[in-house]
Amino acid sequence: MTRPDPKQVKVMTDVAGVPQDSEVAARIAHSIGPAFDGFAPIAGTLPMDIEPATFLLVQNAKVTK
Amino acid sequence: MSLVSVAKAIAGKKVSSREVTQSCLDRIAQWQPRLNAFMAIEADAALAAADVADASLANGKNLGPLHGVPMAHKDMYYDAGKVVTCGSKIRRDFVPTTTSTALQRLKDAGSVRLGSLQMVEFAFGPSGHNVHYGAVRNPWNVDHITGGSSSGSGSAVAARLTFAALGSDTGGSIRMPAHFCGVTGFKTTVGLISRAGAMPLSQSLDTVGPLAQTVEDCALLVGLMAGADPDDPTTSTRPVPNYMAATNDSVKGLTIGVPTAFYVDDLDPEVARVLDETIATLKNEGAEIVKVELPDQRQLTAACQLVLATEAAAFHKRWMIERPQDYGAQVLMRLQNGLAIPAVSYLEAMRWRGPALAAYLAAVEGTDAVIAPVAPMPAVTIAESDVGNSHDAEAVIQRITRFTRPINYLGLPSLSIPAGFSKKGLPVGMQLIGRSFDEATLVRIGAAFQRATDYHQQVPKLA
Repeated sequence: MTRPDPKQVKVMTDVAGVPQDSEVAARIAHSIGPAFDGFAPIAGTLPMDIEPATFLLVQNAKVTK
Repeated sequence: MSLVSVAKAIAGKKVSSREVTQSCLDRIAQWQPRLNAFMAIEADAALAAADVADASLANGKNLGPLHGVPMAHKDMYYDAGKVVTCGSKIRRDFVPTTTSTALQRLKDAGSVRLGSLQMVEFAFGPSGHNVHYGAVRNPWNVDHITGGSSSGSGSAVAARLTFAALGSDTGGSIRMPAHFCGVTGFKTTVGLISRAGAMPLSQSLDTVGPLAQTVEDCALLVGLMAGADPDDPTTSTRPVPNYMAATNDSVKGLTIGVPTAFYVDDLDPEVARVLDETIATLKNEGAEIVKVELPDQRQLTAACQLVLATEAAAFHKRWMIERPQDYGAQVLMRLQNGLAIPAVSYLEAMRWRGPALAAYLAAVEGTDAVIAPVAPMPAVTIAESDVGNSHDAEAVIQRITRFTRPINYLGLPSLSIPAGFSKKGLPVGMQLIGRSFDEATLVRIGAAFQRATDYHQQVPKLA
């Protein structure tokens, strides 16, 4: 997982149907980049059998101190 | 006088709802020009509703625990027939046809509506700035921020303009204004309180909760609002505990964890001092204090940002296409961030939530709660935090919210309590982080702390 560069951001905003100019794309890349960097150690490491609803299972599991 | 105290006084006919409501309105008239905390003040309607409440009580009919108590809430809770701006230009004239479940439950308990409270545009910002309606000001020093996005809620409760207020917390929006304004704020477990009829920002992270003077006030309100709702199928169906009962218990026998890293790094010295003092008070009250090594919280912060930005962009996509000029520059910039997150990255961040929560719970095993600062610093000035959509605006925002977002990602409850003041007289809050759906333990600890201290009773003076 790598942070998108401004050119990639521009393509993604076009594909999303909310096109942005190069200046905005550069700002987005700068703003969101740290989130990609921070999540990089996790990205691509998750076992297949985990889905978003796994959160509810953990949340509702009985826990003791 | 706290929410619980005034409710008892009205129920006991020691004071009328009209007298209490008029008192709030008088105080609002005095403070509003300095604070900008209210979005709408409905004086005549509030007094009329108070008269109805008084007449009802005279006839022996008490509607519930909030009978005749005047309150105002963040302007994002739908109230059928009333304008709900969501702090935005886009919804300046929006009139919903339904009432939010949380608000309806407070109405059913007898509360009286004073009006609505200011907020950050679409609840997407931690400072309290609003380019459409002006910044809300901190009653402890009007040059300083209130925190957001429940800016009006924090300011109005601190100045005693309302006995309590609903806020919402997606990345820290209840705890931040509670910390900066010196009030008690309760971010509840995701799924405890229905979000039906509350403006959405991020369906996975949004939570409803109160800001009030005391933990006891918050316990009462959460107990009234919590519980299953057919209009929000994501709400938990588990029975609602008696949170009020927990307010009388001591902390003897409880174990409170203090993180060894992240939440104690790069703190303003005054926040570090208040953290130490809070730990000492809890220890003195009988809690056992232990160190806890938490998993890397920066990864949680990053995952939270990926989820929040994507979901917010999806909610706002239509207006981003049709009405981009009607957003404030910073809010639009932050919404645009979500356009650059691939679906696979978003879903990875969502899939990791379960394992991340399990890892956190394993790390805090043996403790009843974890204590941490809400933010690394007391309230900064409005001027120095007015970063708009500048190149590094997101970095400034992320610094303010770095201690709150991991908790939103994990969906955990967190109670923010006033815990001290800086040398400049600005409040400092601490957050007690609990296990999923274990709000009662946080109430127990927070109430014990407030019995031992008086920070929550301090009231700012109008300069």
